[in-house]
Amino acid sequence: MSFVHQEVWHWQIATYLFLGGLGGATFAIGAILHLFEGCDRKMLSIAVLSGMGFMGIGTIFLLADMLQPMKALYALTNPSSWIFWGVIFINFYFLMATVYVIPLLRSWPKLVLIVEIIPDPILDLMERFNRLAALGGSAAGFLVAIYTGLLISAAPAISFWNTPALPLLFVISAFSTGAAYLLLLSTFSKNDYAHKISEKLEQLDAGLIVTELIILGAYFNFAFFLPTGARASAAELFETPFFVFGFMGAGLLLPLAIETYSIFFSKHSKQSAGVVITASLLVLLGGFLLRYYVLHAGLYQYPW
Amino acid sequence: MARYGMVMDMRACVGCQACMAACSMENQTPYWSEKFRTHVEDSAHGEYPNVRRELLPRLCMHCENTPCLSACPTGATYKTEDGIVRINYDRCIGCYACMIACPYDARYPYDGDDVEKAEALYGSDCSHTMPHVDKCSFCEHRVKSGLEPACAATCPTGARIFGDLDDPNSEVHKLSVSGIARPLRAELGTSPKVFYIPA
Repeated sequence: MSFVHQEVWHWQIATYLFLGGLGGATFAIGAILHLFEGCDRKMLSIAVLSGMGFMGIGTIFLLADMLQPMKALYALTNPSSWIFWGVIFINFYFLMATVYVIPLLRSWPKLVLIVEIIPDPILDLMERFNRLAALGGSAAGFLVAIYTGLLISAAPAISFWNTPALPLLFVISAFSTGAAYLLLLSTFSKNDYAHKISEKLEQLDAGLIVTELIILGAYFNFAFFLPTGARASAAELFETPFFVFGFMGAGLLLPLAIETYSIFFSKHSKQSAGVVITASLLVLLGGFLLRYYVLHAGLYQYPW
Repeated sequence: MARYGMVMDMRACVGCQACMAACSMENQTPYWSEKFRTHVEDSAHGEYPNVRRELLPRLCMHCENTPCLSACPTGATYKTEDGIVRINYDRCIGCYACMIACPYDARYPYDGDDVEKAEALYGSDCSHTMPHVDKCSFCEHRVKSGLEPACAATCPTGARIFGDLDDPNSEVHKLSVSGIARPLRAELGTSPKVFYIPA
């Protein structure tokens, strides 16, 4: 038996997985905030548009890594493939996000003229079903986020990936990065209600980081007990400084400490905005590092 | 319908790599990039003076339960009625999902550079005119004409035995049910149709 690094999917796919998860979760959390908290429409529109942007850029990275990107439409052929479902979920995401965001754009005076090119009956319909689009969008965002983990867990010979813990880890990490990104946006929002949203997002992100730490603990504990390539992958990651200090230290524990301090002691003043921004950026960096190093540590277990 | 398979008799393999050369000529594999449909792994085990050399010829296992087929989003990977796993080059988008899913490292990318070199080398006979993922096809074109795959036909020691696994009179059938020949990584549940007799 020998363990061999997978040399197929590199940083481009890690970027796709990161941006896909971030885009999906940003929309999902934004839409949930809208449904249950009545969030600022301007901030929501920026969130959803940038979520679509993340997803679009991520998809470009995926296409750029293909041998024949111009034939990508063929990917809608085989329903037993996770990529097939990824295409369905991403298209559903873009449809929901577009329907959802157009009425929100009316809150931007400079964009009103562009939005009003759309016939009134369609615009009214979108406005009427805006909450339904938010609900559909949160489902679409969740599906895209969890798909990023399901895609790479479907490799039977890479035992570190071929586990239900991985999609779970990726979806929680995606929601953590989404919450961190929205927290970043809310820090810049001029809306009076923004600090309330910031508080909620901070609590949500701290909870998600704790959940991620629990899943990580279970995932690595399980990997270390397996007499397979999973153990070699886990051991390799623990010997990688950028994973231990970069992802676990700077990407999880440090932002968790900052957010915990902020939840209990800070009053979300302008002075505290700097540390919140730092925490958010660190979570985003951590999200990318997780995907990069999990992909990198994918070891095949060959019988030769 | 036949159900084609192969038995690798490791007692007979001498690591001459004639199978690799024959396959490469038959299927125009990009040998210039060291990409082969069949490969003889040559490794040393143990410590001096107790060192032994191990040879392991490998190729696509044409699994019954095909993780590559499930992973392929375009349907480019398909199975023939004879159980041979093939790739439709026209439909392959080169997403590499099949390469990630294959537990036997049987696939490789025939990329743009390889296609360019193949076209320059083989001219109008070039059989790879667009980038795609490639792998062993059990030389289906030869098998249809009643011939063995190029690797089996070339092997000077008869280490590769090809035939119908469902034909009770065939040697591959007898060996595959004998318990002497076993597939690689059977625990993955892929049910490979290539079996190995240990050296």
